[in-house]
Amino acid sequence: MSKVVEISPTTRHEGHSKLVLKVNDEGIVERGDWLSITPVRGIEKLAINKTMDQVPKIASRVCGICPIAHTLAGIEAMEASIRCEIPRDAYLLRVVLQCANRLHSIALHNILTLPDMYIPGTDTKINPFTPEEPVRSVAKRIQRIREIGQTVGEIAGGECIHPSNPRVGGLYKACSERAKNKMYDLAKEGLILAREQEDFMIAVLRNYQNRDWSEVGGKQIPIPKTLGYHNQGYMAVHPVYGSSSLDPCPTWDPERWTDVRPWDWYMGEVEVNLAEPNYPIGGTSPVGTKANPQMEACTGVPLYDGQPVEVGPRARLVKFRNYDEKGTIGQQVARQLEYTDSVYAMINALDEYNPAGKVLADKIPQGEGELGFAANEAPRGTDVHLAKVKDGRVLYYEMLVPTTWNFPTCSRALTGAPWQLAEVVVRGYDPCVSCATHMIVIDEDARVVAQKLIQ
Amino acid sequence: MGNELGKYTNCVSARSTDKEILKKAQDGGIVTQLFAFALDAGIIDGAIVAGPGDEPWRPRPIVATTREELLAARGTRYNISPNVSLIKEATRSYGLDKVGIVGTPCQMQAIRKGQLYPVGLRDVPDKIALAIGIFCMENFPYQSIVQLVEDHAGQKLESVKKMEIGKGKFWVYTERGAVVQLPLKVTHKYEQPGCHVCLDYVANLADVSTGSVGSPDGWSTVFVRSKSGEDVWSKAIAAGCFETKPIDQVKPGLELVTKLANEKISKNQKTVEERMKFGVGKGLRNPYIKP
Repeated sequence: MSKVVEISPTTRHEGHSKLVLKVNDEGIVERGDWLSITPVRGIEKLAINKTMDQVPKIASRVCGICPIAHTLAGIEAMEASIRCEIPRDAYLLRVVLQCANRLHSIALHNILTLPDMYIPGTDTKINPFTPEEPVRSVAKRIQRIREIGQTVGEIAGGECIHPSNPRVGGLYKACSERAKNKMYDLAKEGLILAREQEDFMIAVLRNYQNRDWSEVGGKQIPIPKTLGYHNQGYMAVHPVYGSSSLDPCPTWDPERWTDVRPWDWYMGEVEVNLAEPNYPIGGTSPVGTKANPQMEACTGVPLYDGQPVEVGPRARLVKFRNYDEKGTIGQQVARQLEYTDSVYAMINALDEYNPAGKVLADKIPQGEGELGFAANEAPRGTDVHLAKVKDGRVLYYEMLVPTTWNFPTCSRALTGAPWQLAEVVVRGYDPCVSCATHMIVIDEDARVVAQKLIQ
Repeated sequence: MGNELGKYTNCVSARSTDKEILKKAQDGGIVTQLFAFALDAGIIDGAIVAGPGDEPWRPRPIVATTREELLAARGTRYNISPNVSLIKEATRSYGLDKVGIVGTPCQMQAIRKGQLYPVGLRDVPDKIALAIGIFCMENFPYQSIVQLVEDHAGQKLESVKKMEIGKGKFWVYTERGAVVQLPLKVTHKYEQPGCHVCLDYVANLADVSTGSVGSPDGWSTVFVRSKSGEDVWSKAIAAGCFETKPIDQVKPGLELVTKLANEKISKNQKTVEERMKFGVGKGLRNPYIKP
């Protein structure tokens, strides 16, 4: 007889989400539903009739962690719709911006994920905020890496959060020779730190993988060797940057994308009948709580070739580097491997960048209402924006953000894990929930999600 | 009044020792020389100054990172150069870590306010290394300068060599030697109305503030106000960048500065008070007083 346990809200990730888990007598998840309960942003609706210059800036506001990805994907979707090619130097600065964002995001995720892990050779979990060594110097290194990422983003993008410099047709401002050198120096410093941090993280993750148990809420929970395994496919469009419908051979295809509504996907109303008051932080939902994932989930369920897919660092490595490790730890290791990748890509782009070059296209067409899309490889995975622009105004706008793709995939990856470790699996995806939210609750009392915003 | 000159640690009359700077400087070449020295000494990476614009005598803010660019910005053009608008960009696409900026008292207020409340100025406050303020009675929009020079003074703007306000007159000097003086009574109506609520004459919030008033022709009065101002000024003196005279030994001296500062403040205080009463009780209220 399976029992239902609810972890709400889940912690140590961006946004609000919860887990509704059907577990067997041993506490192993038989079916897990992970869903967003973040209030809707409604960007798609706001975008209608705004100018093509405004919309990417508005879209960037869905979230402060990967605003760079949203800005770039939004702008490139507009450029794809109006068929505007940007100068090479503008593209290179966008790549620098992209890598800066990825660098800081990986480092930030380290802080969120480390408390699940153990100091190798001990039974002590890592508290990244402790003043004691060896953790202190790791925390300082993480902060310095983030600072480097954010400063480079600030120089190339005008602002590290919600970059102001990118615009439809290229960039407003080119970076001076001095600014280029400054970014280069920062990248060189970042490279050494990133490599050290990568090694450290992989050692810590492998140590977790080799452990038999992990302590959660005062109990020793066995760690299965197949933690976080799933059999879904992967989707990635580029090892570093992205692809758009302007490319000769786009690596993403809108024809292969379909959308399912949450009430056709998630489980129906259930009553919680298993509770654990000692579960961090504040215990799970008490027995008797009603949960109704199919009506509470605020995301659509995007499918690629009719199936949920995984996006993110592992997807990129699987697609482009022949990486093959499954499970949560495999995913985390893949993320660490992107540390140095992103710094090298930044250095290469800076090497090629010419400060005297042009960064704005000579002619910016105003669009004829054609569908354009841009798929940007955000830190958390493929961030697809689709747009139709006519006479400079946006007729249609849609964001398919990384965590939206990952929600159903991760839900499947929960099967077979002890429910106490479900959050560890979720955190492996580095979820960023607020941008993933697309549905609106129209009846607060009945808590019914009934209206899809776009259309 | 007593505090019209603000806080300062040192006040002298000074001029640059660099002939090239003085050649086209307004008075003592203080701002150009101090920035040039700070640039050489690595105290700043670049400075936001009023560079040459697209039209004659219209300044355009530029980020000067070389002596040549600084020299191109010598001299006063009596209309608005929105220098503060570049303060963020200087730390971004220009890649500066230590920014110098010159501006009028109101621009110094904006800088300091931005440092206190950096809304929209992320990571900028700690990068402002040297803020030089200039004395300012009021400023003109560009259209006013066109009107004053072309219509009142009857000179083509392109042929003007220097403009100056002093001895109660607005002076226009042309390339071919003509000198026109307009009484300030004529210029008053061309001033920016916004200037009439300003209660600061000598840039009280700058690190170093300077202006011609109080010193003989070709010299400038300099107030050193902050620790960082003191630091760069003493280094510049040690490097022989300036000749100085004690302010109490020059004519007309601080007395005139004090007098003009008082005049500005008491005149503008009246406008402030009038505006406080404007429309109050007739549909508007004074937003600073709770009803």
